[in-house]
Amino acid sequence: MTVVDNLSEMVSLERGEVDRRIFSDPEIFELEMKTIFARSWLFLCHESQIPKKGDFFEAPMGRDNVLVVRQRDGGIKALLNTCAHRGNAVCRAEEGNAKNFMCTYHGWTYDIGGKLVGVPGLEELYHNELDTTKIGLRSVAQLDTYKGFVFATHDPEAPPLHDFLGRTGRLGLEYIVAQGDMEIVPGIQKFVIPCNWKFAVDNLFDWYHPQITHLSAFQTGMVPSPPDITGKRMNTASVADQEGTELQLPGGVVGGDAGDQLVFIDAYGHAISGPTVEALGDFGGLVDNSWRDRPDVVEALGPMSRRSLGHANIFPTCWITPPFNQISLRIPRGPMETEIWWFSFIRKDLPPEHRAMAISGAIHSFGPAGLLEQEDGENWAQSTLQTLGAASSKVPQLLTMNLSRGKVVHDDDDLDPPYIECSINEHGQLWTYLAWVQWLKGGSWAELQERTSPPDVL
Amino acid sequence: MTAIEENTRVGGDLLADALRQFEVERFLTNEAALLDAHRYADWVQLFSDDTHYFMPIRRTRLRKQVSQEFTKPGEMAFFDDNKDILLARVAKLATGAAWAEDPPSRTRHVITNVRVVEDDGQELEVHSNFILYRTRLKSEETTWIGSRQDLLRRHEGSFLIARRHILLEQTVLLSQNLSNFF
Repeated sequence: MTVVDNLSEMVSLERGEVDRRIFSDPEIFELEMKTIFARSWLFLCHESQIPKKGDFFEAPMGRDNVLVVRQRDGGIKALLNTCAHRGNAVCRAEEGNAKNFMCTYHGWTYDIGGKLVGVPGLEELYHNELDTTKIGLRSVAQLDTYKGFVFATHDPEAPPLHDFLGRTGRLGLEYIVAQGDMEIVPGIQKFVIPCNWKFAVDNLFDWYHPQITHLSAFQTGMVPSPPDITGKRMNTASVADQEGTELQLPGGVVGGDAGDQLVFIDAYGHAISGPTVEALGDFGGLVDNSWRDRPDVVEALGPMSRRSLGHANIFPTCWITPPFNQISLRIPRGPMETEIWWFSFIRKDLPPEHRAMAISGAIHSFGPAGLLEQEDGENWAQSTLQTLGAASSKVPQLLTMNLSRGKVVHDDDDLDPPYIECSINEHGQLWTYLAWVQWLKGGSWAELQERTSPPDVL
Repeated sequence: MTAIEENTRVGGDLLADALRQFEVERFLTNEAALLDAHRYADWVQLFSDDTHYFMPIRRTRLRKQVSQEFTKPGEMAFFDDNKDILLARVAKLATGAAWAEDPPSRTRHVITNVRVVEDDGQELEVHSNFILYRTRLKSEETTWIGSRQDLLRRHEGSFLIARRHILLEQTVLLSQNLSNFF
């Protein structure tokens, strides 16, 4: 029996286990392209990346490449970057400004709205029988923005963006937009990791790994250590490297049922997970939390929502990280190849010195040379590689931390998305995989929403 | 005078140029040897306290807009380091817990096409090409090729690197990280 015939067995909520074959199986990857990436709303870019008429940015939607283009009327279109004639890419730049998109194969020329406006030999060779009004660059099925963030879907049946994001997806974006008027910092970091995209997504919820994976970054003092609100350390008896040196952890830990962490889970697989504002504080002076107490924010966001400093994932791969206002896409290129794209945003009204500090924080935390993220890639690459082994692939992936201890609170006042108060956990990851199975199983959007409704316990 | 004519001149100036070229190349090759020997603490001492170690992001742009292919300081970058951050990177590698470099990468820096572009007597604008070849673990292999635009400041009979801009011949970075120095 192949993996795709056995989807129900791939993720177990009861055992907190995931079948490792989903991280390298080519059939699974093909199914993901069809059932997730050809269907879901996907983040494309920010409006400030394409402010002027003709400005464009090429964004991935699964294996499709779309040109997100500012129109003459100020609107935005997302056009498949493939000529209607023979399929050649009509634009080979990653970003820029265009008056037209001319295919370099036979010269078919499209205006910035995708309309076919020029065909060499239209009269002589096509005898004016080519209906240029019907042939153009195809648009995505739906495009919409949420406060400057541009999303699109290939599925005409998909619910409106607002509904797809739901409270949790919108909340993730609010952690950036509620701070003030935001714009892109020019330069999208793009790099390739030989790993499955799900490892890179799973990791964004993982608040267990920083003290180990990123130990060296904390030891330099350039990256603030995890908060030490109890003075307790994780017990590291017998946790020692190959020379027998026990790890000395730089930060504290809150165990038991104490709630230093908040997890929000929601329909379609969206989730937010991470420490509370009280636990993480201002991240060594780097994070300004004052916006959370502004009257309009108090009005718009629920009390639990305002307390989270967690990482949000808009399913499938749009990670929003609040400290430096960044969005990271984990773009699947193959079962064992993932591109990471980092978009960085900044408040327009920041004074130059604060602006420089914020940009420095982004560059030196994440990205391929980031003091933190340098260490991540090899963990995911090696985790992916080991799933190829006939024997290794039979070892289940474990997501059992605090399993069945996550009581999901469904807020009667409807102010906050369903949430769990807890210590460090693996609920966000498990929720992602549970939803992932449901996407792969297909069905109508109503069925998908129903099957990904948060349970009472995780 | 064309660049080729300048290089074919004979006389005292050429000898001075040759000596300066020798000094610069000796400095750059010794610097590269420190990196390949993992002697990062010695390497970072070659940078001035006011140094700027910068690798911009490069983007595929149309020929007419190619002047905008690199990001500038103040925008996003891969490296945008002052001396403190360079020192922190070196300290990080020395912690024994920098897993991305443990086991350490095997690196080889090939520095070539060294050109002194400007020299005001105190500071030299030096451009060079590099190949940085890296292997890791059993079979991971990365090659970075690019150019460097250095400002070398004369200091105690040698130089300090007062600025290094690293321009990679890649847009999407074809490696899982940048845990090595250029």
